Amino acid sequence: MDPVHEVLGRSALVSLSATAIALVVGVPLGTWLALARLRGRRLLATFLNTGMAVPTVVVGLLVALLLWRSGPLGNLGLIYTLRGMVVAQVLIATPLIAGITMAGLQALPPELTDQLRALGANRRQLVIRLWLEARVPLLAAAMAGFGHAISEVGAATIVGGNIHGQTQVMTTSIVEQVGRGEFGDALVYAGVLLALAFAINALLTSVQQRAASWARS
Amino acid sequence: MGSVLSLRDIRHRRGGRDVLEIERLDLAAGERLAVLGPNGAGKTTLLHLVAGLEPPSAGTVEIDGMRTVHADAELRRRIGYATQRAGLLSTSVRRNVELPLRWRGAGRAARSAAADAALRRLGVGHLADRPAAALSGGEAQRVSLARALALEPGLLLLDEPAAGLDAEARRSFLDDLAALLADRSITVVHVSHRADEALRLADRVAVLVEGAVRQLGEPGRVLREPSDGTVARLLGYDNVVPAVVAPGGEVLIGGRPCGLRSDGPPGAVTVAAWGSALRLAAPGAGALEATVEHVAPGAGCWEVVLAGEPPLRAHLPVPEPPPQPGERRAVRLDPELATLIP
Repeated sequence: MDPVHEVLGRSALVSLSATAIALVVGVPLGTWLALARLRGRRLLATFLNTGMAVPTVVVGLLVALLLWRSGPLGNLGLIYTLRGMVVAQVLIATPLIAGITMAGLQALPPELTDQLRALGANRRQLVIRLWLEARVPLLAAAMAGFGHAISEVGAATIVGGNIHGQTQVMTTSIVEQVGRGEFGDALVYAGVLLALAFAINALLTSVQQRAASWARS
Repeated sequence: MGSVLSLRDIRHRRGGRDVLEIERLDLAAGERLAVLGPNGAGKTTLLHLVAGLEPPSAGTVEIDGMRTVHADAELRRRIGYATQRAGLLSTSVRRNVELPLRWRGAGRAARSAAADAALRRLGVGHLADRPAAALSGGEAQRVSLARALALEPGLLLLDEPAAGLDAEARRSFLDDLAALLADRSITVVHVSHRADEALRLADRVAVLVEGAVRQLGEPGRVLREPSDGTVARLLGYDNVVPAVVAPGGEVLIGGRPCGLRSDGPPGAVTVAAWGSALRLAAPGAGALEATVEHVAPGAGCWEVVLAGEPPLRAHLPVPEPPPQPGERRAVRLDPELATLIP
């Protein structure tokens, strides 16, 4: 068994990397869906919302099929690697982040976009300003994405393989310990995982609530 | 220097129907146009087209000879736009005013100076460091206007900026707005559904009904000579009623003489009369009569609702004792305060 700090570090690395990438993809995607005047937006939004509910084990299976050595992306050599796990977690977190971003932007006053454009904002300035206006839901999206990524076990197991010293993360380790009947160790790992999730969410919540109270005060 | 605005052959469709149709509308530099119209008349759509927020379905909008194009931020930067909802961003008041200046490339010192000056001019300089969300409706509208004026725009678009304010705040806001515009040569398009607001700042007024300009002219003239009953109602005439010009020139309402005469040909007309045009007296033979239905104290007058065919509204001087509900009264109209619409 790997030392707990090593597994913890690996979990944090994978999930934070996946969340960061999912933010880079999901926030613009959600923004586009919220602002673009396009036909079929409702259908796309439905796909996105469905993506939030896809079981992580299904995502893991699909990613594994893609990354398997004989699969279409097998030559990348990502199966049973941390990078492969990041890919899976990006696919898990992105729909959540994009969906919350879309909802957050759509909840802004409808005339705000026109008003910003009338004040002379170009497209980039407009989008940045809208993100700042929707900063509270956007931070919620980041928290939800990270929470979803760090807590999932299905994709991590299938894509990472729970290889000791290489791809074992907190959730897969807990599953393994429970399988061996080592409930005490499993509880310690669970507590540490909860503490990590709490610490990161406490940081984001602090920023979010400061932003919210500044807007209200 | 104010911008020159020109609209040609504008036709705008939305949701499968025409919402705006303006053949020609020109504003000279520094001219102030009030656009008066009921809700849904196309007033905000007109401003959106002028601001380049929407391209017209057909026709052209030009500002200083340049055609506005959808998403043309450069041209939009000649425009200041203050809307019915202040639309302030969730940051400090100062940053709200500074941000559009930053978008225009103004340096930090210039932004700060312009924002402070604009906020002071609108009487909200002391609020500069407050969060915009903490402002009252009147304060927020002043900040919104300061934000628009800080840009030193050539064209200022005002979309019912005082609509959400109570009577006192509205009066004060419009007073300050009039004072601010008095020493500036900004071209202004001010839309409102309230005649008192619209006419106050205007060199000309365009009455917009169902997407079309029903009447365009100098405010005093439009006020004196509304082109039809709808325009008269929008202008605030309390009584807009059908009437007939008899062969001798006497104007009859409900078949009874009302005190007005016409030099025009006999036939159907519309009488538009302010409430203060109505004079009530003891019933007399052959006169237009009505029954007092309701009496209430109004702004500087007694507001009297008269039941009859047609019903009428009178504003009577406060010093005189008002009539009582149920009383029968003869009604005459003061020709100075009433107009005939052919």
